[in-house]
Amino acid sequence: MTRKWLRWMPAVVVPAVIAAGVLSASLPANAGDPLPEKTPQQVLLMLAQHGEKALSGTLEQTSALGLPELPTSGPGAGAPEAAWLELLTGPHTARVYLDGPDKARVQVMDRMAERNAVRNGGELWFYNSKDNTAAHMQLPADATARHKDSPSTATPGDLADKLLAKLDSSTEVAVGPDTQVAGRAAYNLVLTPKSGTTLVDSATIAVDGESGLPLGVELKARGQSEPAFSVEYTSLTLGSPDAAIFNFTPPPGATVEEVPLQERKAAAPPSDVAQAKAAKRPTVTGTGWETVLEFPAGAMKAPAADEPRSGAASLLDQAAVPVPGGRLVSTSLINVLILEDGRILAGSVPLERLQAAAAQP
Amino acid sequence: MSSKESGSRERTGGDTVPEDMAGNAAHRPAAAPAGRRWGRGLLASELGVLFRRRRTWAMLCALAAIPILIAVAVRVSSAVPPGRGPAFLDRISQNGLFVGVTAMLVSVPLFLPLTVGVVAGDTVAGEAGMGTLRYLLVGPAGRVRLLLVKYAGAVAFAITAPLVVALVGAGIGAVLFPVGPVTLLSGDSIGAAEALLRLLLIASYLAVSLMGLSAIGLFMSTLTDVPVGAMAATVVLSVVSQVLDALPQLEWLHPWLFTHYWLDFADLLRQPIAWDSFGTNLVLQGGYVAVFGALAYGRFITKDVLS
Repeated sequence: MTRKWLRWMPAVVVPAVIAAGVLSASLPANAGDPLPEKTPQQVLLMLAQHGEKALSGTLEQTSALGLPELPTSGPGAGAPEAAWLELLTGPHTARVYLDGPDKARVQVMDRMAERNAVRNGGELWFYNSKDNTAAHMQLPADATARHKDSPSTATPGDLADKLLAKLDSSTEVAVGPDTQVAGRAAYNLVLTPKSGTTLVDSATIAVDGESGLPLGVELKARGQSEPAFSVEYTSLTLGSPDAAIFNFTPPPGATVEEVPLQERKAAAPPSDVAQAKAAKRPTVTGTGWETVLEFPAGAMKAPAADEPRSGAASLLDQAAVPVPGGRLVSTSLINVLILEDGRILAGSVPLERLQAAAAQP
Repeated sequence: MSSKESGSRERTGGDTVPEDMAGNAAHRPAAAPAGRRWGRGLLASELGVLFRRRRTWAMLCALAAIPILIAVAVRVSSAVPPGRGPAFLDRISQNGLFVGVTAMLVSVPLFLPLTVGVVAGDTVAGEAGMGTLRYLLVGPAGRVRLLLVKYAGAVAFAITAPLVVALVGAGIGAVLFPVGPVTLLSGDSIGAAEALLRLLLIASYLAVSLMGLSAIGLFMSTLTDVPVGAMAATVVLSVVSQVLDALPQLEWLHPWLFTHYWLDFADLLRQPIAWDSFGTNLVLQGGYVAVFGALAYGRFITKDVLS
């Protein structure tokens, strides 16, 4: 009898060994030397001065903003207009290659498909394998300084820079316990708003202990345990990637669309531009985390009219709920109030704040 | 039921069964001191039986029919607009090599697990159902080696099946459509030779993906003397796993399902190749092989073989 039970031993031991292995792997690996203590200012300085411009890595992005997820399968999936907007909902994996300020490639890896954004010097390419379409843009020679990256490529660096710009007396900055991101020891810079009315609970930036490179950004919303938005490297290699990665020619058979650069500055006289900008410039009320932006009527309609935005529109229809005075698109981080008179108010504050701001003359 | 089942099976596979037993008999006297050589002979005879079996050929032919059907359907119909039907379908008319990729994509959810489930579910239960299991156990190889040989047979089929789909697909695609540089998901193009290499890589990815299922089938096969039951249980498990994988509420479970990475073979069509899913899949399938191999060992070693 015991002999018989002994024969079943492997069937018990193997799952136990696997479970033990998984558990030990999931524990935070603290084998390496702990990072030297640093004050928040020192970590911020590291972050601001990091010189890593050449890297290749894999980014994982998750968001729980409370927006309806766009369908990824079934009818209506992958409508081309919604393809980039879809990045805000659901999880994504992307590979990022950077080499200097003017060479970048981002590959958003979808199931059985891929979206690419390639920048090689002045050439900017977008390619979507789902419908085999490519878009090409020729950047002006002086664009290097202004266009750091396309807005959709939310690398940790971009997000960190934006957050740091907001840093003032409104925020408490602290260095949390060290973390491990992509196998690298990292400082954890925790920004907590002092204001009690904002929707943002905290923002965390993981800063590489060696190079100061931002490795991950996490935004937490009030009353939500899982992060509302997070993007972090799961693997990272510093150093120039293969130069061939940045060479992109549209594949044969692809539909190539040549996108003319909107030469606003060059096309219109400066005074007109200034006026147009002033008309579209949002009014700012509140400070720090309680800032409310008010866009005048029509400011958002104009760009939407000349291009088909059915994907965005349908998302808006699903997300907007009627509230007194207009419609509200509510996410866990930002509330957007679309008033009946066409004005749009946005801010990471509760609805009442937006309504109060709307009522102000 | 059982005897009827085995009777009909014996007739269909009648040409092979005596040969198997004859092969065993021929090996037995020479190999009495060295069980290992006997085991190698057993493996050879197992593979011989498997690939001479009419049922195996029928299943491989059915798998080969998938790319042929796809290719002919695309050939005789008008151009497929992008974004409709299975992925890559619209690329076929531009490049015949995509027939292989599309066919593998189509056969992953059901056809491949179905055929592998039939082979793996038949391994031990088939012998038991036919009453030949105890003859196999008379030899000096022992139950462990017999189990290993049986699993090796199932794995051999799991390697062959996707390979057949890929190669027949590439072949029929080359006959009916032009073959040239292949556009990868990233938008880069590679030459036809490298594309063929990627096709073989995908086939090997699928072979690895089916290892876990083969081990599950082997375990199921040790539980019963009715091969059909083991086959059905194996196939049903693969379907259940895929259904669970589609439920977003069970997200925590997804990385543990053996079907979770099956469709991630598209990562081999990126530039540069994303090897992450290949590695993760390999580890996951290895875990399933270890767990269900150990279960099959426990069950088969302690089993009373009466038939």
